[in-house]
Amino acid sequence: MAECCAEAGYAETQIGDVLARAGVEPDSFESHFSGKEDCALAALNKIVSETLARISMAAPRAGDVIERRKFEVKAILELMAARPAFASLLYVGARQGGTARMHDSYESAARVLALMMERAGDAGGRPSATARAILGGAEAVVRQELATGRAATLPRLLPDFVYAALVPFVGQREALRQAKLAARVAAEEE
Amino acid sequence: MNEQRREELLRAMLIELAGNGYNNASVERALTETDVSVAEFEAEFGDKDRCLFAAYDQLTEMVVAKASAKCEYSDPWPVRVRAGLETLLSALAAHPQLAVALTRSFPAIRPAAYQRYVALLSRFVPLMHEGREYSEVDEELPGEVELLAVGAAEAIIFGEVDAGRAERLPQMLPEILFSILVPFMGPDRAADEMRSAAATT
Repeated sequence: MAECCAEAGYAETQIGDVLARAGVEPDSFESHFSGKEDCALAALNKIVSETLARISMAAPRAGDVIERRKFEVKAILELMAARPAFASLLYVGARQGGTARMHDSYESAARVLALMMERAGDAGGRPSATARAILGGAEAVVRQELATGRAATLPRLLPDFVYAALVPFVGQREALRQAKLAARVAAEEE
Repeated sequence: MNEQRREELLRAMLIELAGNGYNNASVERALTETDVSVAEFEAEFGDKDRCLFAAYDQLTEMVVAKASAKCEYSDPWPVRVRAGLETLLSALAAHPQLAVALTRSFPAIRPAAYQRYVALLSRFVPLMHEGREYSEVDEELPGEVELLAVGAAEAIIFGEVDAGRAERLPQMLPEILFSILVPFMGPDRAADEMRSAAATT
């Protein structure tokens, strides 16, 4: 479903194409899903729950809140790189192309991630939409990489994402320092 | 078809799209509203898709031209960003149905339509390059900082339009401005610009 939506868009995705790609019989599909939207929602729930699971697994490995944030961002980028079709379903299909329920699913996930971002530092004096804006910037880059077929290299952009996630809270100098540290970690892992 | 009737028809089609979605957007209703004949429509566009894509292209050209025009003054970059943003937000607030067509209804049609939206956002990226000169640190800012700034503003605008609150957008100028400026100028100077904008909004 995620791959079909990424290629054709949700509106033009046909259940027959999904079944053919997955090698699933109609009877089997109907025993699991009530229809196209139900299947798309299940795919969305899968990527959202996997994202949250990766975040919760990444966080305890780090010490302070900034370290945790870096691990969380890294975990999300690695997941999106590994599952580009699901990333597309979440950040393109559910956001701008799907049904109202799919859009709600996207919004719920965005709210959770925004709350996570707000824990990055003192929000005093910052506008209320700061966390949402940080996520929006990150999503724009993810969408660009998806659209140009470069999802696999998303983890290399970890320093950019770390900088954007931290700069409203800790300032440019510290955000850049943290971005460099993140780049070093990413390079060592490569 | 003369230019004025063509523009009226394109606008009517976008309003149809925003109000009824792609499948239910009616060419017939748009033709009736603008007093354009079926023969004229077919000669000019051929079908609904071509008309909608032409309408979207025209709308995006107008949006970019309006926002960019304000960015070409000799004022400092943050002032020009604010002026361009103000123009953009006012235009979206004045035409909420077109704002819905721009951000949600048209990109939802299919991937080719969505790509038009991605292309629209990418046109704002060059307007951000100058922001690097305002950085408070000597080091190079991350490579994607321009798109991060554009995406930050887009997320707030998209959220308001999607929630049916496009009319509120001009009031949100200060915080959208902060989100654009902060990766280039840091939080303190971006907050100064935000407060300055709030004082005059």
